[in-house]
Amino acid sequence: MLVFYSDTDCDITPKECAEYGIKMISMPYTVGDKVIYPYIDFDVFDAHSFYDMLRAGTMPTTSAMSEEAYIQYFEPEFQAGNDILYVHFSSGTSNTFTIMDQAVAKLKEKYPERKFYSVDTLGITALSYNVVLECAEMYKAGKTAEEIVEWAKVEVPKFPMYFFADDLKFFRRSGRVSGLAATMGGFIGIRPIIYLNDEGKMVSIGKEKGRAKAIARLVQYVEELGEDVKAHRVVVGHSDCPEIADEAVQLLKEKFGEDLNVVTTVVNPTIGSHCGPNGVGICFHAKHR
Amino acid sequence: MERTTELDSLIFAAMLRQGAVALGREKNLINDLNVFPIPDGDTGDNMLMTLKAGVSSLDCFAKLAMTAQTASSGMLLGARGNSGVILSRIFAGLAKGLQGVEVADTKAFADAMSAAVTEAYKAIPIPVEGTIITVLREGVEAADASQDINHYFETMLQAMQVSLDHTPELLQVLKDAGVVDSGGAGLLCIFRGMNEALCGQTSEEELIPTSAPAAPAVDLDKFNEDSKLEFGYCTEFLLRLMRSKVDLETFDEQVIIDYLNRVGESVVAFREGTIVKVHVHTFTPGVILNEMQQYGEFLTIKIENMSLQHNQNLSPLTSHLSPLTSNLSPQKYGIVTVASGEGLIKAFHEIGADEVIAGGQTMNPSTQDFLDAFARINAQHILVFPNNKNIKMAAEQAAELYKKADIHVMPSNTIGEGYYGIGFIDRDNPNVEENIASVTEMMESVTTGLVSTAIRDAEGEVEVHKGDYVGYSGKQMLSDSPVRTEAAMDLCRKLDASSRDVMLVFYGKDVPEEEAEHLVADLQKEYKNLEIILNCGLQPVYDYIFVLC
Repeated sequence: MLVFYSDTDCDITPKECAEYGIKMISMPYTVGDKVIYPYIDFDVFDAHSFYDMLRAGTMPTTSAMSEEAYIQYFEPEFQAGNDILYVHFSSGTSNTFTIMDQAVAKLKEKYPERKFYSVDTLGITALSYNVVLECAEMYKAGKTAEEIVEWAKVEVPKFPMYFFADDLKFFRRSGRVSGLAATMGGFIGIRPIIYLNDEGKMVSIGKEKGRAKAIARLVQYVEELGEDVKAHRVVVGHSDCPEIADEAVQLLKEKFGEDLNVVTTVVNPTIGSHCGPNGVGICFHAKHR
Repeated sequence: MERTTELDSLIFAAMLRQGAVALGREKNLINDLNVFPIPDGDTGDNMLMTLKAGVSSLDCFAKLAMTAQTASSGMLLGARGNSGVILSRIFAGLAKGLQGVEVADTKAFADAMSAAVTEAYKAIPIPVEGTIITVLREGVEAADASQDINHYFETMLQAMQVSLDHTPELLQVLKDAGVVDSGGAGLLCIFRGMNEALCGQTSEEELIPTSAPAAPAVDLDKFNEDSKLEFGYCTEFLLRLMRSKVDLETFDEQVIIDYLNRVGESVVAFREGTIVKVHVHTFTPGVILNEMQQYGEFLTIKIENMSLQHNQNLSPLTSHLSPLTSNLSPQKYGIVTVASGEGLIKAFHEIGADEVIAGGQTMNPSTQDFLDAFARINAQHILVFPNNKNIKMAAEQAAELYKKADIHVMPSNTIGEGYYGIGFIDRDNPNVEENIASVTEMMESVTTGLVSTAIRDAEGEVEVHKGDYVGYSGKQMLSDSPVRTEAAMDLCRKLDASSRDVMLVFYGKDVPEEEAEHLVADLQKEYKNLEIILNCGLQPVYDYIFVLC
C-alpha cells in the first residue's frame, strides 16, 4: 500500500488530511525556548493570536528536524510493508531535506524492498497547498506513485506563487529572500514582490507602493502568466489579513469570473515565522513560474 | 557724550553683550514678524540664542581680533535657524576682517563690516534681497567712516532702518503679510544694542534665558557609583603658550590640533597670538592636559561629564546614545534627523534613524547639536535629514565643520519627506551617490499636508480665520474650518489624496487617539484604494501631518 505524506509547511490542516487520507509531518517552530509542533501541540491553529504575537515583536525561529524524527515517522510504514509518497515543501528553503535523505537512506538499507517517493513542490504555503491537493486528488483516484511523480515533473514548474510581505524584518533575519533591498519600506507602505523560482527559492523581483497596487500586481501576474487558470485551483494565502486576501479574491473574480475556483489558506506558523504578518500570496496554474 | 575713535576688545565685548540684551527685549516682537499665519515664527529666539552662544564664550582677551574670533566661533556652533546661521556668518566675516587687529579705528572697523557683508552673501547659495543681508549691506554701504565710530554707527543704523522699512517693497510675501523682514529687524536690534554700549549705556539686566532649550540644573545623580563612562568629558581650556617651553615665533599649533584629533573627538581649536583655545571630547582629560603642559600653561579649564550633559539636554526617548569612541569598524551609513514629539521621535528611530535631534519648526537645533549627533555615530557616511528649510543651514554649517565622516545634508523640507526618504535608504547599497539620488527622487514625489491653528486672519486660496483649524501645504493655505477633522478631510481632498497610493498620518499631542482613528476610518471610506498608515506623533504645533506618497 502507498501512504501519502505531506507536512504542515504546506498549509495542510487535519481537515484535508482526513478528507484525502494524508498523513502529516509536523514542522516545528520555536518561541522563546519552547518548541511547538503544529497540530500536535494544538488542534486548531489560532492564526490571529500567533500573528499578533509577531506584531507585538516576538520573532519565532525554526529549525530542521532530526534524522531520528524522520525515522520515527517513516519506519513504522516500512515495517508494515507500506511504500511512502511524500509531497513536501521546498527543499530550496530549508536544509531539513538533506537530513531526511540520510534518514531514508538508512531505512532503505534496513528495508530494501520498500519504496520511498518524494515530490518537491518547490514552494511553501499556498503553492505547496495547491500542489499537495492536486497530488492528493490523484492519489485518491488511485493513481500510482510513479504516475504522480511523473505528473509533478511537468506540472510543479507550472505552479508559481507571487506574494508580498509587509514587515521585512522577518525575511531579513532569515535571509531566505534574495534581491531584497535593505530598506525600511514596510513603514511607508512599500512592499517587495517576491516569487518562488524554479529551484524553489524566494527571489524579490520588484516593489509596489501601497496595498492596492501590490494586490493588483499579483493579479496581473495571474493574467499574464496564467494557463488553464480556471481548470485548477487558485490559492490565496495570507498571514492573518483576511480582508486584504479578500480584496485579492474579489479582483481575481473580477478578472476571471465568479466561477473561478479560489481557495483561501492561512499561512502556517512555521513559514509565518519567516514571512511575518500581513502578507498575501497567490498560487495559480501558469505557462511557467 | 564721549566719542569713541578706537574700538578695543573690552568695548567690543560689551557691545556684543548689549546687542544680546537689546535683542532679548525685542525678541517676541521679532518672532511675531511672521509671514505665515501659523505659530512658526522664531527668528527672534534663533538669533538671540545664536548671539548668546557667542557672548557666553567670551573671555578677557587683550586683542580685539581674539574677542571677535571667539565670539564668532561660539556663534558658529550655537547657530540656530537660517537667521542664526546668517548672523553667525556676519560675525565670522567681521572677525575675519579684524584679524590681527589689536584696536580698531573707524576705518578698520568699517573695512571689517564690509568683510561681514561679503561673508554673509557667501553664506547663502542664492541671496534673496529684502532680507537680513540687504539690511546689513545697505547699512554698511551708507555708513560714514570719515569720523569716529559713534558717527559710523549712527549713520549705519539710520540706513539700516530705511532699508528694513523698504523690505516689503522687495519681497512680495512680506508685503502680503504686512510685515517687515524679521531677520533684518533682529539685526537692526542687535546693532542698536551695540550702539548703546558704544555710548556707554550698558544695562545691568540679566541676559534672560530663552525658552528653548530649557536649561535645567545638572542632575548629579545621573552619574552614580555604578554608572559607566560612556560619553567622556567635554573639555575646554585656554592654553597660554610659554616662551620657556616653545619657540613662539615658529610654533605651529597644528601639532596640538593633530594630537587632539588623534585622542579625542569634536575638536575645535584655534590660536590667537600666544593663546590656544581648545574644545575636545575625551575619556581622559588628564592625559590631554598633561600633554598640553609641554607647550604652555592653562589660563582657564572647564571639564564636564557628558553623561550629565546628555541627560540634561535630551529626553529619555532621544537618549539613544552610542559610546563616544568605538573601536568597531564604522558602518557604511549613519542617519541623523530632527523631529519633535515623542511619537515622531520614536517613529524615526524605528525607521532607522541613528540620531533624532529634538527640535523642529519652533525649536531649531544648533550647529553644535548636529556636531554632537555626528560624534555619536560611527559611520563612513552620515545622511542628515533636517526636515525643515529653516534647519538646513545649521546642518550644512555642521557638515562643513565635521571631519570624521562624509556628511550629506539631504533636501528634506518636511517631516514627511524625511520619514519617507529614510524609509528608502538601502543600507546595503555600496554606491552612496546612487542611494542618495534615489532617496532624493523619492522625497521629491511626496506631498506633505499639515493641520494647525491660525494665529491671525489671512487671505489666500481660502480665507483663514484666526483661531480656526487650517490645512496647508508648503506655503499654500488650502482649508479652514472651526472643526479640526473637517479641515483635515478638506485638506486631503485639495491635495488629491485619491490619486495617491499611500498616506502616512501622524497625529499631534493635542489630538485624542479616537479622533485620529475616526478620521482615518472616514478617509478610508472616501479613498478605497489608498493605504492609510496611522502613527501617533505627539508633535506640537501640527495637529495632523499627512504624508501623501
